[in-house]
Amino acid sequence: MSAPDLNALQTGDADAWNAAFDWLWPTVFAVAQLKLQPYLPNEAEDVAIEALEELVEKVRAVNSVEELKPLAASIAHHRAVSLLRERFAKKRGEGKTESLDAPTTDGGNPHDPPSSDSPPSDLEQRELAQRLSQSLAELKPPLGEILSDFFLHGLRYEEIAKKRGVAVGSVGVYLKRGLDAMRRIWEREENS
Amino acid sequence: MNSMNDERFFDLAMKIIARQATDAERTELEALLARHPDLRAEFERLQADVRVAKEALPLVDATQATAGELPAYARGRLQTKVRQTLGRPAVEEKPDRPLAWGWRWVLGLAATAVVVLFVALPMFRPPGAPVIELAMLDVAGETRGWKTNEVALLQRTWAKARMNSFTKPELLQAWETNWLAKADAVKVIYDRNAAEVRVIGRWNGKTFQNSFPVEADLAAALARAQAFVQEQTRN
Repeated sequence: MSAPDLNALQTGDADAWNAAFDWLWPTVFAVAQLKLQPYLPNEAEDVAIEALEELVEKVRAVNSVEELKPLAASIAHHRAVSLLRERFAKKRGEGKTESLDAPTTDGGNPHDPPSSDSPPSDLEQRELAQRLSQSLAELKPPLGEILSDFFLHGLRYEEIAKKRGVAVGSVGVYLKRGLDAMRRIWEREENS
Repeated sequence: MNSMNDERFFDLAMKIIARQATDAERTELEALLARHPDLRAEFERLQADVRVAKEALPLVDATQATAGELPAYARGRLQTKVRQTLGRPAVEEKPDRPLAWGWRWVLGLAATAVVVLFVALPMFRPPGAPVIELAMLDVAGETRGWKTNEVALLQRTWAKARMNSFTKPELLQAWETNWLAKADAVKVIYDRNAAEVRVIGRWNGKTFQNSFPVEADLAAALARAQAFVQEQTRN
């Protein structure tokens, strides 16, 4: 599936949007599911659809088609986080016992919106979209895959080398390069 | 340290942070840290980097997802959003369209102009027919839109419909959200700005909805909407 024509999207071309919805759906749904699956799995689909609706509203501010997926992902992420916070706050208000920390047991993502009450600002959405964009640009194959293999899937150097067709001795080099990139892109500035 | 030791330190640190290190590798790293205390700060830095990577990588991965299919029911809703937000592509705008200036005047005054048909003719409707009423939202007040062929076309399609007017979107919204309390009713919305006719209804306890894009011909869209209503309310 190829990327849609941004100009056609910005003028409201129905066919272009049909193609774009198909192209973007896996992204928004995967992002919504990532956050909601453990707590509100039935909401992931709705959040993904709402994220696409919000993307329609923002498409005229997009400058290149490469921005679409990161922006859609950012919107879906913020919507999922807002929903979790809203639901958990409501449960707390009703005297239920679920932990308010539950939605952020992953340590509080550096890209999560800071406020539990207000909707995420455009700035926060743009910032996350920009970081995702940079990550996609820098973690070209097999760099991103090797990082995920090691840090998310727990594969050993030898297993990664075999899976990705690289020398065992170069796995560490890839990890170092990837970590450096992630640090540059994702680390919050202390004084910001 | 030389670059060889740098690489070894990094690999050992990674394995320890990922809990993949053997006892021998753990001992080797401790010895390295004892010989080069400055590496301890670097080790802590790597731990922090790994935490950031582990938090961000799933989101990066999800952004690149390619599996999964848009649910069929969502497509209509999303296309409605496209039309409402972005309007129709310029190429579809026909300057010589009948009464286009009348509508432009309406649209110029009103950010949103929605014609709503909600047909309610309990007196005349045959037994088993849906309740129908007709209404219009015109935030600019009564306009020439009432007299256009398009409105006449709407009234002809639902011949005995009575038309009500709303001047505020929130009033229309309240009206729209209340209508479902009525049993077995059909609501047909002509949203000219979004260039579509929407149908929402309930019949014999079953709810239904659909939207019909108005390409160049409102009559065709209304005919499709009417057929849809008939199909959904057939006993």
